[in-house]
Amino acid sequence: MDKRTLYDEFDRLEEDTQGLVRKLVEMKQTMSKLIETNVNLEMENKHLRERLIEIEERQLELSSTKQELSKSRMNLEKIYEEGFHVCNIYYGSRRENDEECAFCLDVIYGERNK
Amino acid sequence: MKFTVNRNAFLAELATVQRAISSKTTIPILTGVKIVLSADGLSLTGSNADISIETFLSIEDEKAELTIEKNGAIVLQARFFNEIIRKLPETTLTMEVLENNQVHIISGKAAFTVNGLDADSYPHLPVIDEKNQLKLPVRVLNKIINETTFAVSLHESRPILTGVHCILSSAKLLAVATDSHRLSQRIIPVEQAMEDFDVVIPGKSLLELSRSFKDEEELVEISIMENQVLFKTKNMYFYSRLLEGNYPDTNRLIPDNFNTEIEFKVTELLAAIERASLLSHEGRNNIVKLSISSESVVLYGNSPEIGNVEEDLSYKNVKGDPLDISFNPDYMKAALKAFGEGEVVVKFISPIRPFTLEPTESDATFIQLITPVRTN
Ligand SMILES: [Zn+2]
Repeated sequence: MDKRTLYDEFDRLEEDTQGLVRKLVEMKQTMSKLIETNVNLEMENKHLRERLIEIEERQLELSSTKQELSKSRMNLEKIYEEGFHVCNIYYGSRRENDEECAFCLDVIYGERNK
Repeated sequence: MKFTVNRNAFLAELATVQRAISSKTTIPILTGVKIVLSADGLSLTGSNADISIETFLSIEDEKAELTIEKNGAIVLQARFFNEIIRKLPETTLTMEVLENNQVHIISGKAAFTVNGLDADSYPHLPVIDEKNQLKLPVRVLNKIINETTFAVSLHESRPILTGVHCILSSAKLLAVATDSHRLSQRIIPVEQAMEDFDVVIPGKSLLELSRSFKDEEELVEISIMENQVLFKTKNMYFYSRLLEGNYPDTNRLIPDNFNTEIEFKVTELLAAIERASLLSHEGRNNIVKLSISSESVVLYGNSPEIGNVEEDLSYKNVKGDPLDISFNPDYMKAALKAFGEGEVVVKFISPIRPFTLEPTESDATFIQLITPVRTN
């Protein structure tokens, strides 16, 4: 390979690599968006299911409010432990570096009537 | 415009307004410093998208050695101007605006001629409603800033958390900041009656403000406008934009029932945390563990690669249930540094709930909250 071809080849490779990096960044962004939507949907689904159970139980006149609460809180705790926010400030987004969030902890464990 | 002034006094004013001047602005004239000369003295202004600073050097200030020959105004490129003034040979300098916004700067045998910009094209600072003011000693405001701004979020993803939430109501000023991992809140009583307010001031602005104060003994007047706050001292007007949006309810984050309480000397606990964090910093997740029982309180730090540290802590008093809890030592360090001297009481609910730190002789005016790290 002569020097000029080598040089041209390098240029081409550089361009290709840059293109690849751009694509990678785009794909990563799309992926985080998808994950966020996915978590949102999952949470919504869970909420809806809970609502359904709640209504069913009410119809059966089985009212033990406390248990219902702890069930939905357990779901939230599970999502939190999977690394996502359940608070309304960061709702559905990834907990960066798995750092703890005081708002989420309040949603999961806090007193509701405060 | 023509005046003579002491070089160091002038440089000090220039340094203050330069806190507000950025070389990376989209509005070219804002890379400049605005200089206005009136019969009473010399005023300098610097401004960016977040803050604006206006200082005033009075002809009555003896150290400034200010003599005014002719009033006027000009805008000069701040960075260059500062470099020039800094390198002038004599203790005083004379500045004169010639035709076409050219400026003559003379000191001893050195004479510069630089191009300025028309001062009329400089943006106007907001007009203030002088009625609505809160007066505080600078020292008090500085203290509040030191006790809260370190806890603001550095991430722009939720801009509101990059600010300090300041609420004036029932003769009390409350300042609170949180990045969602920890929280710091100070409440002070205020005497001056003024209209209540509820605003969020960018943490960065408050830090710049704190660094711009020259005299801790003077009073600062705080006025709130629609989307701006003005801090005014005798010789400085400091404007900051306010953050828009609702600050989350942080009151509910602060628990009021606890199961374990322990008292430490701030300096002793801080030193131990610093020792333990030497190793935790090397680990993957930077955590230390505190193990509390009625007989002993032990702090553990550990790095799988390097080794571990274990320290029997000296404490004042412990009561309640035994507890093992892990947390990020950096948050604890920052929290303890905000306390300074004295004693601190740390109150826990459980290993997964946030814990609080307060001065022992607490009147509930300064409280910090740290979220623990869950370990499985
Ligand atoms: Zn959260």
